[in-house]
Amino acid sequence: MNIVIIAIVVIIFFALGWALLGMLRGGSKGSDKMYKALRLRIGMSVFLFILLMFASYMGWIQPNNFLPA
Amino acid sequence: MSNQDYYVPHGSYWPIIGSIGVSMLFVGFANQMHHVSWGGPLMVLGGSIVVFMLFGWLGTVVNESVGGFYNKQVDKSFRWGMSWFIFSEVMFFAAFFGALFYARVISVPWLGGAGNNMFTPELWEGFKATWPLINTPGAIGQNGAEFSVGFKLVDAWGLPALNTALLLTSGVTITFAHHALRKDHRNALIGWMIATIALGVLFLGFQAAEYGHAYHDGLKLTSGVYGSTFYLLTGFHGFHVTLGVIMLTVILYRIQKGHFDSENHFAFEGVAWYWHFVDVVWLGLFIFVYWL
Repeated sequence: MNIVIIAIVVIIFFALGWALLGMLRGGSKGSDKMYKALRLRIGMSVFLFILLMFASYMGWIQPNNFLPA
Repeated sequence: MSNQDYYVPHGSYWPIIGSIGVSMLFVGFANQMHHVSWGGPLMVLGGSIVVFMLFGWLGTVVNESVGGFYNKQVDKSFRWGMSWFIFSEVMFFAAFFGALFYARVISVPWLGGAGNNMFTPELWEGFKATWPLINTPGAIGQNGAEFSVGFKLVDAWGLPALNTALLLTSGVTITFAHHALRKDHRNALIGWMIATIALGVLFLGFQAAEYGHAYHDGLKLTSGVYGSTFYLLTGFHGFHVTLGVIMLTVILYRIQKGHFDSENHFAFEGVAWYWHFVDVVWLGLFIFVYWL
């Protein structure tokens, strides 16, 4: 499960980097690229949050809030 | 201004005002740390001059931009400037996330005996290498017991999850605002911008409440490596959200002044990217501090 979470985080980083390149390029093409990359970024982030909640509900992952024995 | 020439502002007094303000701010801060009586007032005065300079200098840039002084080359230089700023921000947070990983993956297991199983048992008897590291070697806890810090951890499904939902929602609203700007839907743009700013302010309020809870439960900057990485990461992130809210508010003001259209809105793009970045940093914090 951790691998899946980290893979989605990596996709989010790439989308953010892609948006940066779009911003750097400028013009209508760059602006378009930036907007689409940011849309992907937020979409994947929301998906990841929902996945975390679901995985926690299913007991696949546990938060860091336990006190070690 | 010719389209071929690079625009160079002449005779600007803002750099020297900024230098004086920053110098006063740091000299005041250093003396405040030494409990010198004039340190605090000098710090406040220096900070006020810096804020005045920021409004003045950036206001001048906005006026020059709206006045048509800038050509494509200047536009490109702004984009590069923003990109290098972003690079410095990425490196800044990479250093703190790096500290978190180093402590978790290398230092703590090593102290627990991994790889060197010879020093730790003699130095700190009974030390347990766990993450979060509750018992820090050498630290004296609240109850006086050796290396017992004894704090309670923040519940991931409490305020942190609520704050994640708030910031992610603000990421959605700024994307809607971006879409509205690209389609020249002015009213929708203003509405989504206000929603984004409100969500950012709400996040900061809950973050302050979370700090109150954590501090009350004994989690402090001095609570070993977990406390220090927790507060440095979340604290600097909170500072960035504060800055983002200020920048979004300035952009909202500029939208109402009619400074942007569907083709020319670099300032909006810069701030939108920054907001998405701050959102991603929080997501990273939520996952790596509270979950994995």
